[in-house]
Amino acid sequence: MLEAILSGADQLFTLPTLLTMLVGVTVGVIAAAIPGFTITMAIVLTLPLTFTMPPLQGVATMLAVYIGGYTGGMISAALLGIPGTPSAVATTFDAFPMARNGEPGRALALGIWASFFGTLISTLVLIAAAPPLALIAVKLGAWEYFSLVVFALTIVASLVGRSMVRGLMAGLLGLLIATVGADPLMGVTRFTFDLRVLSAGIPFLVVLIGIYAVSQLLREVENPDQVQQGRELITGRIEFRPFAALREVVMNPINLFRSSMVGVFIGAVPGAGGSIANLLAYDQAKRGSRHPEEFGKGSSEGVIASESGNSATSGGGLIPMIALGIPGSAVDAVLMAALMVHGIGVGPRLIMDHADTVYGMFMAMFVAGVMMLVICLLSMRLFLKVTSIPKSVIVPVVLTCCLVGAFTLNNRVTDIYLLLGIGVVGYIMTKLDYPLAPLVLGVILGPIAETNLRRALMTNEDWTLFFTRPISAVLLGLAVISIVLAIRYHLRQNRIRPEEA
Amino acid sequence: MSDATRSARSSNDRAQLDAMRARAWGHIIFNGALALLFAFMFLRAGELPSSMWEPMGAGTFPRLVLALLVIFNFMIIVKELPHLKRTSALASGAVRNWLRQHRLAFGVLLLFGLLTAAVPVVGFRWASFPFLVACQYLLGARSGKALLIAALIALVMSFGLDILFRHVLTISLPRGLWG
Repeated sequence: MLEAILSGADQLFTLPTLLTMLVGVTVGVIAAAIPGFTITMAIVLTLPLTFTMPPLQGVATMLAVYIGGYTGGMISAALLGIPGTPSAVATTFDAFPMARNGEPGRALALGIWASFFGTLISTLVLIAAAPPLALIAVKLGAWEYFSLVVFALTIVASLVGRSMVRGLMAGLLGLLIATVGADPLMGVTRFTFDLRVLSAGIPFLVVLIGIYAVSQLLREVENPDQVQQGRELITGRIEFRPFAALREVVMNPINLFRSSMVGVFIGAVPGAGGSIANLLAYDQAKRGSRHPEEFGKGSSEGVIASESGNSATSGGGLIPMIALGIPGSAVDAVLMAALMVHGIGVGPRLIMDHADTVYGMFMAMFVAGVMMLVICLLSMRLFLKVTSIPKSVIVPVVLTCCLVGAFTLNNRVTDIYLLLGIGVVGYIMTKLDYPLAPLVLGVILGPIAETNLRRALMTNEDWTLFFTRPISAVLLGLAVISIVLAIRYHLRQNRIRPEEA
Repeated sequence: MSDATRSARSSNDRAQLDAMRARAWGHIIFNGALALLFAFMFLRAGELPSSMWEPMGAGTFPRLVLALLVIFNFMIIVKELPHLKRTSALASGAVRNWLRQHRLAFGVLLLFGLLTAAVPVVGFRWASFPFLVACQYLLGARSGKALLIAALIALVMSFGLDILFRHVLTISLPRGLWG
């Protein structure tokens, strides 16, 4: 084992590898900060560049993009209210209000430190507990997957917005959007109404960009007096105090550890990823907080939970991939492809046959985490300059980036028409106070929910299995509890603010 | 309490009541329209083929979702109806004021719509350049210097972005009918 660790370190700590990792972290941060440009896209674009590198250098570079990306998604979420990636959705809940309250520097610094500690904790768990955690994750059958989706949707619907009914309606609308196009099992075309624009379905990334970016940008220009006077997005003095933020993060040890562990576990569940982890971590933080009423208004606990939760999925996602050859997310699948390109078979024998590469990957996670921290802390003042650009520049430039992002996903012009349509729907929904996160999650989880529901009933027509299989029953029970708690919370809030009831 | 304060408070209350009523109408119209659409889709989903290999066909899951959606639409409508009873008709000119307040948002939306329509015809570069200039002008770049900066930004974000994607990332953005 020691020999493998030393061999891995020898391959990793070379100038070319460290240099490409540094570039990878920077590219990951910048790419994920652009709304519509996801971590998966950045990793996919990096893959061909690693073909000529030695195996560990290639994988370490991609891991660097991965870890940089999880932090980069937070930048636009905090400064513009637009999650750069799906895994930064919950970050908008508190980091954006915090930035709007005149503390963009604090929001970013908290996010950076929380991301760093999330990555660190997940790497430690990855090293210590990869095999047992992966075994739990693969025990989930179709029944458990379906129940997991129900649980995730009820949690999100209950935790965002003022009305649970509107939250659930938005979630269901997301599930419906996901049914447009080819049916996942039979390939039958559904709800396309013979329109070319709908024939290939509605990609969730187009929904994400349209719902968040377009509708958010339209809301930005609702105040003509402020916009046309060239006012800045965030007014007031901007301060960036990284060490004060470090103290604040460290003073939240339970929240930080709990959120990181949620991220690790969700990352280890194949199919689930940062998009679910950050919302679940946020929900758990809200439930465990002494000041739940501050969530959604710029709570530091919310920012810490969401960012440590999504960054911790990077280590969690590698657990089933390294131990069993099952990728935890789309990004892990690309990492797996990179290993296979270099002739390294991914599966249970990976640790035995290529221990040096595996230990090198573990060390690369640590190194990338530290690089991300240094790069973000040093360059964050540059990112904060975004806040001094007037809306008259930001809005058209970001709209153009959204259009490019939507097009480049599949090289389809019809996707930009979808972007416009979904942007309009998103704008109407925000004007009527519908939460958008359940809708996006519904679109992402829709195919998983339908496929697993149908597979479960195909395996055994007895639907009571959803309630009798222990893990499935627990997940459904938790879904019911989350609804009951949310109703109780809303009723209490309405009693406190009768005028808003 | 002075007359001025009283009148300011009453006009504020009036605006809040108008907003509540407008929001209630918004929910009722939005959910009513969606309920009709979903009911139509529910019927269409019934025509989707079933499978001999599984108890659920291609239409069962969407029908389940659609049925739940219609129920939620009605729940929201029923929840909003009391707000209509509690408030009186909107003040004269309320709709006009609302449209005036949102003129920039609608203007940007219109320009973005024109951009999406123009991209397949004239290509990304020639569609995005005028969009970027017009949008910046609409949002306040009116002076000569501001317009010059706007044109430079437009050049970078249209032609520059096209070059970056084509030559560095080897992704071709739409070139249009004459590209």
